[in-house]
Amino acid sequence: MAVRIRLKRMGAHKAPFYRVVVSDSRSPRDGRFIEEIGTYNPVAQPAQVTIDEEKALKWLQTGAQASDTVRNLLSQAGVLKKFHELRQQK
Amino acid sequence: MKEIAPDALARTTRINLLFDFYESLLTEKQRTILTFYYHDDFSLGEIASEFGISRQAVYDNIRRAEAALESYEEKLSLLAKHERLVRFTEQLEQEIQAIVTNDWDKRSLIEAVGRFRSAEGTAREGGEGSWQHLKA
Repeated sequence: MAVRIRLKRMGAHKAPFYRVVVSDSRSPRDGRFIEEIGTYNPVAQPAQVTIDEEKALKWLQTGAQASDTVRNLLSQAGVLKKFHELRQQK
Repeated sequence: MKEIAPDALARTTRINLLFDFYESLLTEKQRTILTFYYHDDFSLGEIASEFGISRQAVYDNIRRAEAALESYEEKLSLLAKHERLVRFTEQLEQEIQAIVTNDWDKRSLIEAVGRFRSAEGTAREGGEGSWQHLKA
């Protein structure tokens, strides 16, 4: 069963705020997810990103697929670079 | 590995904001598909299998809904006005903090700014929600 890393929109009307969550690709949109690994607030100036790097790397290494938007965030945070470096060492 | 679309994040943020303003003008189907795609970050393939339609049909639906949102914004500019208003309110508050020396005046002015924010639907408390605990 595929595991995905995606953004989940939270926050108020006109003030989007996102959680970065790990979930099963077949879990419906009922808010259930396996683990929260970060947040993204695009409304703050400048935008605020928090990523739990250890958890993110753990999930990527076990084959979780990140969505395009999450890949954006992870690459900005330097997590994807680390992931590739770790893979090359093997 | 797949290429990273560099503007995916900016696009998600913009469409979600436009959606907040013009959601009620879209069709039920457009609303549902945009919610899956932009609120929940499902892939085209996942949405396609959820609804039993082709990936291409999902893609076309999303593009059409986005075009509709952008055309409403072009005509009504609600998002642009909202963003200006948020910026000016921010500046106004900073100036009150910096310039007004009388505490009593300052408090009533800041309260007035707060009422202005609530009227625009951007009261501070609402926008931040339950993620405070995660801030480093």
